[in-house]
Amino acid sequence: MVAATAIEIERWPQTTEEFDRLIGLTQDELIQFATYRLGSQTDAEDVVQDVFVHAFKDRAKRRAVVEVRPYLFRMVRNRCTDVLRSRARANTWRMEARREKSGHEVQFPDFYRLLDQLPENEAEVIRLRAWSDLSFGEIAVAVDAPVPTVKSRFRYGIEKLRRLMCPQGGLNQ
Amino acid sequence: MINRDDPDEDILAGLRPPKPIAASPYFRERVMRAINEEGCRRKSWLIRWPGWVTAGCTVALLLLLIPMLHTGRKASAGNLWAQSIEALANAKSVHIIGRIRTLPGDNFELIGTKYDFVPVEIWRDYTNPPQWRVQKPGRVVAMDGKTATMYISKTNSVSSGPSGAGYIEWLRPMLDPQSILESENAAGAETQTSEANGTLTVNVRRKAGGDLTHDWAKNKSIAESDHVSVYHLDSTTKRLQGLEVYVSMDGKDQLVADFNDIRYNETFQPALFVLQIPADATKLLDASEMKPASVTLAGPKEAAQYFFDSLAHERWDDVLAVYPANTVDSRIREYYGGLQVISIGDPFQSGLYPGYYVPYEIRLANGEVRKHKLAVKNTNPKHTWIVDGGF
Repeated sequence: MVAATAIEIERWPQTTEEFDRLIGLTQDELIQFATYRLGSQTDAEDVVQDVFVHAFKDRAKRRAVVEVRPYLFRMVRNRCTDVLRSRARANTWRMEARREKSGHEVQFPDFYRLLDQLPENEAEVIRLRAWSDLSFGEIAVAVDAPVPTVKSRFRYGIEKLRRLMCPQGGLNQ
Repeated sequence: MINRDDPDEDILAGLRPPKPIAASPYFRERVMRAINEEGCRRKSWLIRWPGWVTAGCTVALLLLLIPMLHTGRKASAGNLWAQSIEALANAKSVHIIGRIRTLPGDNFELIGTKYDFVPVEIWRDYTNPPQWRVQKPGRVVAMDGKTATMYISKTNSVSSGPSGAGYIEWLRPMLDPQSILESENAAGAETQTSEANGTLTVNVRRKAGGDLTHDWAKNKSIAESDHVSVYHLDSTTKRLQGLEVYVSMDGKDQLVADFNDIRYNETFQPALFVLQIPADATKLLDASEMKPASVTLAGPKEAAQYFFDSLAHERWDDVLAVYPANTVDSRIREYYGGLQVISIGDPFQSGLYPGYYVPYEIRLANGEVRKHKLAVKNTNPKHTWIVDGGF
């Protein structure tokens, strides 16, 4: 993970050299997020590659974007959602489908599946918090919502997770 | 990432990946290739239309083109150069995006038909004084109006010199698209010009330059290969729209470079022409700044021997007597330190390089055997032998 250095990216890259640097700084964290979202590193790398190519193609349009890293997460997140929707349309469950096709699937602890029982906007904030180094402010950019809303979603989601995990009480009881 | 004081940490810890996931090897290179292909893809309106429209338009275009091809309509090359130069007289800037079959980080001259394409980008601001920047992955040169600075990320090294310093070699004429055509014309190259579909196409065929009695350098640069340059100019404005370069070998022309995204009059940020160099970068020196070797080096072979002996015994100060830098980068120390010389062959000259190539075979400390040619030259005023590349 290279989040500490990734914060140094202050503006949307405009040259291939700058994109090369951006990819070096952010590829691992974006792929990690997409891998856990999609259950397959192969699919995750396809998504992240697609995002970088689009980021390059639209570089002039995004010149004014200053929150580059969270914005990339937003692009990856949206692209992951597209992939998950297309899988759903094909009537396949994301993990099973990938297990048959490639050897690069990721084993999820059952715990992760609890996230599927939360409202999607709460689950997404928790995923971003758990699977990346983004701050609440950056997550707000990634999900295109105000920071207080993001914090509320996180709080409600965590409370629901607690209840789902330990219906009789807290984890430590 | 982990905040032990966070009351939600118990939940988050269970959700965190058991181990960090990293990108596959070569993921970055794969993406850069895709980006390069995206950048170089010619903007074709044809592909945006449904098939039936495309087919119809293609037929219509062919009907229009057939009479033109039949009459062999051609423009006068000399006149065309003049018009092209005039067309660019009022340009404020040019931005050229392309790709070359070369190695990332290596010099801008190197090509190879077996290499993958590497993205190359050129910016030229016709300010006074003019500024420019040329880059590919691993190597960038920027000229801020006074000084050209080159940074090589692989070796973390930097070199500075006047605007005309030989950092960009074959790509230099691309800084002045108008003069590239003029220079082709001045060289008296074999030229064919045709016009179709609003585009003037000029094919310029040139023979390999330099003495290639020893063919080591043959086809390792565009100038040292038989090649065809295909220029595309807008029929109306006469502005350069694209350039492809094909190396002619084994009876066929193979594409080694293309620049098909040329943009005029973009506004560039001043920071584009100023490189941010890491504080710990190794500074590449002019031969006049180097310390003399502890022994007299009679020729290229002796210089190569001295260089490898110094690396073998990790005498870094002696390395710097033939390797023009202020320090030996830690990566070079780790990779070459303690090597064993297996053989050093007889120097030879080839192509346009003003120095010598010295064949060598060495065994590195990690057991790897490396066989290559060291580039050595003494074309500086003091005739100091320096190692110029090939390791």
